[in-house]
Amino acid sequence: MPTLVKNLGVARDDWTLLEAPEANAHVPARAILPLAAWLEGSAALKARTDIGVWLAGDADPEANAAALAALPLLAIHIPAFADGRGLSLGALLRTRYGFGGELRAFGDILPDLAPYLHRCGFDAFVLADDRAAHAAIEAVGAITGHYQASATVPLPAFRRLARDAAEGVG
Amino acid sequence: MYRYTEFDQRFIDERVAQYRQQTRRYLAGELTDEQFQQLRLRNGLYIQRLAPMLRVAAPYGTLSATQLRALADISRRYDKGYGHLTTRQNVQFNWPALEAVPDILADLATVEIHAIQTSGSCIRNITTDQFAGVAADEAVDPRPYCEITRQWSSQHPEFDWLPRKFKIAFNGAAADRAATQVHDIGIRVRRDAAGQDVLDFLVGGGLGRTPAIGGVIREGLAAEHLLTYLEAILRIYNRYGRRDNKYKARIKILARAMTLPGLKERVDAEWGHLQDGPGTLTAAEIERVKAHFAPPAYAQQADATALLAERRLASPAFNAWMRNNVAAHKAPGYAIATLSTKLTGVPPGDVTDVQMDAVADWADAYGHGEVRIGHEQNFILPDVPMGQLPELWERATAQGLAAANLGLLTDMVCCPGGDYCSLANAKSIPLAEAIQRRFDDRDYLHDLGQIDLNISGCMNACGHHHVGHIGILGVDKKGAEFYQVSLGGNAGDDASLGKILGPSFGREEVPDVIEGILDVFVQERREAEPFLHCVRRIGIEPFRQRAYANAG
Repeated sequence: MPTLVKNLGVARDDWTLLEAPEANAHVPARAILPLAAWLEGSAALKARTDIGVWLAGDADPEANAAALAALPLLAIHIPAFADGRGLSLGALLRTRYGFGGELRAFGDILPDLAPYLHRCGFDAFVLADDRAAHAAIEAVGAITGHYQASATVPLPAFRRLARDAAEGVG
Repeated sequence: MYRYTEFDQRFIDERVAQYRQQTRRYLAGELTDEQFQQLRLRNGLYIQRLAPMLRVAAPYGTLSATQLRALADISRRYDKGYGHLTTRQNVQFNWPALEAVPDILADLATVEIHAIQTSGSCIRNITTDQFAGVAADEAVDPRPYCEITRQWSSQHPEFDWLPRKFKIAFNGAAADRAATQVHDIGIRVRRDAAGQDVLDFLVGGGLGRTPAIGGVIREGLAAEHLLTYLEAILRIYNRYGRRDNKYKARIKILARAMTLPGLKERVDAEWGHLQDGPGTLTAAEIERVKAHFAPPAYAQQADATALLAERRLASPAFNAWMRNNVAAHKAPGYAIATLSTKLTGVPPGDVTDVQMDAVADWADAYGHGEVRIGHEQNFILPDVPMGQLPELWERATAQGLAAANLGLLTDMVCCPGGDYCSLANAKSIPLAEAIQRRFDDRDYLHDLGQIDLNISGCMNACGHHHVGHIGILGVDKKGAEFYQVSLGGNAGDDASLGKILGPSFGREEVPDVIEGILDVFVQERREAEPFLHCVRRIGIEPFRQRAYANAG
């Protein structure tokens, strides 16, 4: 059974992902709509703050970035576990467009992708089952220091280490 | 050479532990073959025709004597006592057990080397000029920038799951010995009029199924912007590169689809967001890494001119080696010596544990404990005092590492081919040997001058056949092995892709075909004209006619 990992713990999933909702159908609270359905929806729909939107890996959110960033949840579809487009998209939403809500990855997610997702700003990912979910949580802590800046670490190692040295931190 | 900080060492150690855990999960049945494939590839482990193959990174081709001894030791303990130098300046082991790989990596980590991202769809080992730091024609030593890029590309959060493999090469000398025009990104480092290091970026070169020459998308960028500009290129590629067809997934295809100016526009727009951000290198960081590559203390050497002249007169073999395998050094009294692995009868690039130990000893005895691997699959000793060249040559001769054929026809570049590789259409090693046996007359080879003969066993072009002056590609015709011959490729400053002569040949025909091509060259060349120039001047038609006449 698909298992949600949120903030590095197994969590209950309160949201419902709608793959292809019918036009003008009632959208319940905590539904995750496809980007196209949300874009085509009414102004009232776009103003709602109790629904989320999901994007394909090749989506270009730039034109609607401000409105998307105001939503409580954005989800990105990972069609195959070796497809890294979602990483760039997630990192952009988090770091460039200022999205502060739940950033969720779903699809074909290998536990070993979790450290990358985490560093690109995803705080939630849906794994295939409970064992995979626990493997994903464990995987995130495997490497304690990376070279690059990321959504979780704002400075690259060469700036962090230089700062630590200047402050006399070991 | 770069030495690891505590931070670097911890990263490598934790990476080994991570891979050990991944291997354990695979062996316990928790990962499918397909899932584990992606994980093992990111640590250099292929499953080949006969056994797994482990590709270890020699970062930008540089190894210490200690590291080389560790590789020799690994070849003895986990393999069959030999390794293979690759065209990407790496070392491959052909027979390790999958279960033993975490232990091998742990051993490598103790001497500061690894197999991270030596395969898979990610940023690969950074390559450069094998003479970097010592070449007489060098403007800027590119190795500090290679190391900075190595660190930046190691488990990058966004760029470890790219559409396809991604290769970056740096060059800082007048001659382009790093083939920057046939890499996904080629970076030329130079010093501007104000004395600052600046970078020229080339994008979209590559070999493989659709060979392409890279184009310049940025010139004269201050070196502090290296990582942010790379990030901009990689982000555009990661988001927009094709993923539906692996043969159309390299950045060269995206560059063609967007056009080079179109790609440049996207990259520059992306870079606008990153410029002067935290990814910008600090002067302190550039200086810190540069300090690791500061030139060693070169001693005043006694004048060796008379000694070398006398030895060269006494021994034609030593004379040929001096002429072909010894290059000019930037420090007076020193030379750069290339130890060829291209002895007839030995697969190009193969080296035994005994040879690796010997080369490590010579690196200590005739240098500062450093060894290079060149993309032509040879070892290089970068700091040999001129007066010690005769002694080095004698010892190298005894170890079968003094073939005086550098740059000549028999100094072939050759992939492992169908003897080892599961991708290959045809064998390449027996063909290389047949050509070496046919043309083993030293004087004839020297008269022919520089000829790059490159052999690939398949379209993946690991033997860089497109950029050989003579290129040979193994092809499969209804289950039989055939070879397509091309002429006029070049990997140097004025890179070009070879033109195919025509229908492919059987393996036994190829030496005759090569002989015909060389006969035409000898007949048509003007004075000491190099082979490549002759092909460019007269075109491939005269060669084609003779080749098909010779093949009968």
